[in-house]
Formats: sequence, structure tokens, C-alpha cells
Amino acid sequence: MIKKQILKLPFIIFIIILSIFFYLLLIDRNPSKIPSALINNYIPDFEANSLFKSEKFYSSDKFGNEITLVNFFATWCKPCRDEHVYLQRFQNEKGLNIVGINYKDNPEKTKQWLQRLGNPYSNIAIDNKGKIAIDWGVYGIPETFVVSSKGIIKFRHVGPINKKIYNEINSLIKKLE
Amino acid sequence: MIVKKKIIKILFIFLFQFLISGSYAVEPDEILIDKNQEDIARNISQNIRCMVCQNQSIDESNAPLAKDLRILIRDKIKEGKTDKEIYKFLTDRYGDFILLKPPLKLNTYILWFLPFVFLIIGIFIVFLHNKKSKKI
Repeated sequence: MIKKQILKLPFIIFIIILSIFFYLLLIDRNPSKIPSALINNYIPDFEANSLFKSEKFYSSDKFGNEITLVNFFATWCKPCRDEHVYLQRFQNEKGLNIVGINYKDNPEKTKQWLQRLGNPYSNIAIDNKGKIAIDWGVYGIPETFVVSSKGIIKFRHVGPINKKIYNEINSLIKKLE
Repeated sequence: MIVKKKIIKILFIFLFQFLISGSYAVEPDEILIDKNQEDIARNISQNIRCMVCQNQSIDESNAPLAKDLRILIRDKIKEGKTDKEIYKFLTDRYGDFILLKPPLKLNTYILWFLPFVFLIIGIFIVFLHNKKSKKI
């Protein structure tokens, strides 16, 4: 009798595996989104030229005082334009400090772009070779990080900020405060 | 005659596929002068996932990020960094996902050993089944 039951085992295992596959197919999941290896770590240190300011951008000066949003963007990136309105809302409505990292872009074009759309960034570091992006584990812009007031990365989002992500970041910031 | 033609056709397809799979994306200006160093770089690049295309190594991918990482790996080799240091540099930033082969770690034991568990269960069941049918 027990032996007969054991013979059913492969069938049961098969059903379990099948249901796991179906579950993964049906839930709201994007397999191209990869968790950041930097979550709960200190930000990678970097220095760069600043887009609007004559002095250099040193990450050690700019982080560790208040909650900061770090946004990798470029003018050639269409989704970056789509999320721009949310960055401005963060700055206008919440008074959030936003640091922009201008990824492989033309500085003059970026200045014009920001003049036209508005500038939500308190400071912009120029990453013309994409080296800063690699240090932050960035693989597709736009990417946005939430950095705590102690300089620790708490959240990373790959892709444009939409309503859902905007709310998610807001509630995270409330929790961090 | 028709059979012969068919065989030639199939052979041709095989040969063609072999040619395609042998392709890589390394551009001439990236290649290091030192052949040994270039071999090390190629070897590492073949194990590093292109984060943009995900099922390709950076050795095969034309994505700009893959090119950046290929150059970065070559720069590190020229600086005298070891393979281990280069892998660590990349996984510190991009996580284990950047390795095409998942490393053997506590949280990947299931991934590595489950197939063997299933194999043993399978053998066990076949063995039981045979024993039963022999009795009849």
C-alpha cells in the first residue's frame, strides 16, 4: 500500500512544480528588474565635474546630511523626460534634495533641456564615460536611488518613475524620517 | 540522390550555426596588445552577464554597457588586478546576477543540488516499480 503511494510521488512533485511556474507567470513580476547589490550599503564615493557649478562635485560633501534622491538621467533618454514631472513634484511639493547624474550626455544640450523643462536637481554631476554609473551598479537609465541621511542606499528603481513608484518612494521617505 | 541533397542541407545548417555561435562583439580597438592579457580578458568577459540583454555574455553583446565593462575589465588587467579581484569588483556593484553561472552559496544550494535529489528519487521509484512488476 505504501509502495503504491510512493508511485504517486512524481506526479505530485510535477503538479507542485507546475503550480510554482503558473504562480510566477501570473503575479505582477518583471524578471528584468534585478535587486541592487548596494541596498543597505554606503554610497560609492565619486568625484566629478558639476554641470552648473564651477567647483567639483565630491560625493562625500553632498551626502550624509539629509535624505537625497539620486537620479541617473540623460537628454537622449525618452523615459527620463517622462519621469521628469515626478522629480519636479518631489522637489516642489516635498522639498526633497535631488542629485542628478548626467549619463553620457552633452552638457550644453542638458542645460537647454533643463531650462525648457525645469530643473529639479540641487546639483548635477557629469558622468561622461559612464564610470559613476558602473560604480552604482546602474544598467539602464533612468535609475533612481533613495539615500538616507546617513548616506546609506535604501531603495533603487530601474526605469522611469511613475505614479506607483512616486507613492512608494514617498512612503519610504516618511518611514526614513 | 534526394537523400544526399538533404544530408548536405542539414550539414550546411549545422556548419552555419557553428559559425554564428562563434561570433563575439569585441571591437578591434578594445583588444589588448599582450596576447596573454587579452586571453584573460576574453575568459572573464565570457562569464559576465550583459545586464541589458541578460542572456548574453558581455563578450557577445553589442550593448554600450557591455562595451564599457569589457574596457573596464581590460583596464583592470593592465593595472595588474587578479581575476578574483575583478569578479569581486563586478559582483560588489551588480550582485551575483552578473555572473552567468550562479556561485555555490548557501542560498543557491537548492538550485545546484535539487536535480540530483530528483535523480535519486527517480531511481528509487523505478527500482520499486521494477521490483513490483517482477513479483507479478
